[in-house]
Amino acid sequence: MSTIQEQMRTRARELLTSGEVKMVVGWEKGALWYMSPPAFITDPAEVDRLVWDEFCHNNLAKYLLDYKFSDDRLAIFVKGCDARGIIRLLQDKQIEREKVYLIGINCPGLKDERQGAVLGEDKRAELPLAARCQGCRHPAPVVYDELLQDEGTAAKGEVAATAEDRFTATAEVEAMSPDERYAFWTNHYDRCLRCYACRNVCPACNCRECIFDRSQSGWCGKQMNRSENMFFAITRAMHVAGRCIECGECERVCPEGIPIMTLNNKIIKEINTLFGDYEAGLDPEAMPPLGKYKLDDPEEFL
Amino acid sequence: MLKISKDQIGELLNIWAKGAKVFVPQENGGTSQFKAWEGQGKLTLGEGNALEPPKDLFFPRTETMYRYRVRDPEASLEELAPLEEKRVLVGVRSCDARSFAIMDDVFLTKGYIDEFYRQRRENTAVVALACTTAQPTCFCTSFGIDPGRAEGVDLQMWPLADSYLLEAITPAGKDLLEQAAALLTEAADEKVPAAAQPSLTADVGGVTEKLQQMFEHPYWEAVSRKCIGCGACTYLCPTCHCFDIQSENRGDSGYKFRCWDSCMFSEYTRMAGGHQPRPSKKERLRNRFLHKLQYFPERYGKFACVGCGRCLDRCPVSMDITRVVREVKEVTL
Repeated sequence: MSTIQEQMRTRARELLTSGEVKMVVGWEKGALWYMSPPAFITDPAEVDRLVWDEFCHNNLAKYLLDYKFSDDRLAIFVKGCDARGIIRLLQDKQIEREKVYLIGINCPGLKDERQGAVLGEDKRAELPLAARCQGCRHPAPVVYDELLQDEGTAAKGEVAATAEDRFTATAEVEAMSPDERYAFWTNHYDRCLRCYACRNVCPACNCRECIFDRSQSGWCGKQMNRSENMFFAITRAMHVAGRCIECGECERVCPEGIPIMTLNNKIIKEINTLFGDYEAGLDPEAMPPLGKYKLDDPEEFL
Repeated sequence: MLKISKDQIGELLNIWAKGAKVFVPQENGGTSQFKAWEGQGKLTLGEGNALEPPKDLFFPRTETMYRYRVRDPEASLEELAPLEEKRVLVGVRSCDARSFAIMDDVFLTKGYIDEFYRQRRENTAVVALACTTAQPTCFCTSFGIDPGRAEGVDLQMWPLADSYLLEAITPAGKDLLEQAAALLTEAADEKVPAAAQPSLTADVGGVTEKLQQMFEHPYWEAVSRKCIGCGACTYLCPTCHCFDIQSENRGDSGYKFRCWDSCMFSEYTRMAGGHQPRPSKKERLRNRFLHKLQYFPERYGKFACVGCGRCLDRCPVSMDITRVVREVKEVTL
């Protein structure tokens, strides 16, 4: 059986040559061995740029927003988390299903690129699983038009982590005293550059205009200080509440290493307690808990 | 040349901290940052540069410019006290030292002097630390920077196995050495270690001239597709210096502040009335590269990139300026 990477290239070539799609979105090698950033292929002669390795982190679903108003059909590769991003965008009616051709990949879990930079290529085989992949429960894509098969990884495309694994870091923060917790979060968010990488990479962030791009609205000012940074952090966390697909891309791309998923997981945990277990981006028919009203919703605050 | 044992570096910083506020790279939440030295802390003077460049110490993320009060029919302004704090900035790498020269061009030349910047710059002594190991994302030598010896600094340090060699470059540097005389010994046999040799390179010769003909080139559409439009590259860049000026009002008083801004953001160029001259990431990304490689060289005769590699290291999509330089030179017009 050919490797996933060979199949990627073959299918990309076929889809582009036949004219079924105008562009294929995948990953390619970046400047260094531990970088596999997104690639956008329009010419069948360039499909050999595509790669599939342990650093193909970027969630490609978000890029479909860039082509929202284009009539062209695109093909994109989807790991488990990319596929959940697709469902999320479909639920928000941001994309049209028939305009995108999804090529699924059973993800074996990707490796920690920062450790790669530190340890060097000699240690490539020993790199730990990326933080974002450690709590992954759905490495197999939940939606696709075709699924690439590879003997090596197909078996691993099953539930990888238990439901509780992903809340480990959150539980540690919950166990802190209020003062300790305040120190924990201020220490992290004092570093926040407000570069908005977390927002821009997030498939749940798809507002036409973001509150943080309106600094003179009076909601969140442009000063980079504790007050505004905290307002940004909390607002964003609450805004993706019930819609976070737990891909962990926000935390991976944060240049300052802020543990953003610890905050998002806290909210997921609360939602599960209040409204019953829910995982965003799995079932297109299941309404997000904060997007629907039920007569027996908890209302202790009233 | 003088030397100091690595074990005594804390004492050295303590001595300098008596007469000035000392900033030095320290561990902070898993990252390395220039932070004020307060007698203890985990120094990160080993391999690699601080995550954030030291530009914040001359050009803060956010700073108040003046305060005002409006009580009809009167209005009053309150100027801020001059910035007199003496500072010593320790552990500056050659790339960041070059960035100070670039920022000086922006804030101190062409007929306008930025007082906030000038006061901080003049009150700060810079102690450089040579690089003996390059990070995978380093390419300073492509801009003629010597990782083994920094430009425009007061004191140069070189790391050895258990000690640092020190050489004063300016009277201010000599003064720093005199303050610490009790800790220093004469270096007899020790030699200045070999400078780091970055493996990444950018052949920037002729790139400005090529870019001058490329404003409308389809290349920008292709290269910008993967950009997610965040501002990580600009905020971590030691030479990006764009800022915004806004007011914070409370009742009848308030203050003007300026804070970093990023050409990667839509709001950066949005005009009154809603016109947007840079409507998509194509125009914004193009502007960033043109500023580094064309506009700045045209205005100041030097590139506004120092090859520190922070943008490549932290970009969510590994946008690589060395590749952009290469591709720009390759594309047909």
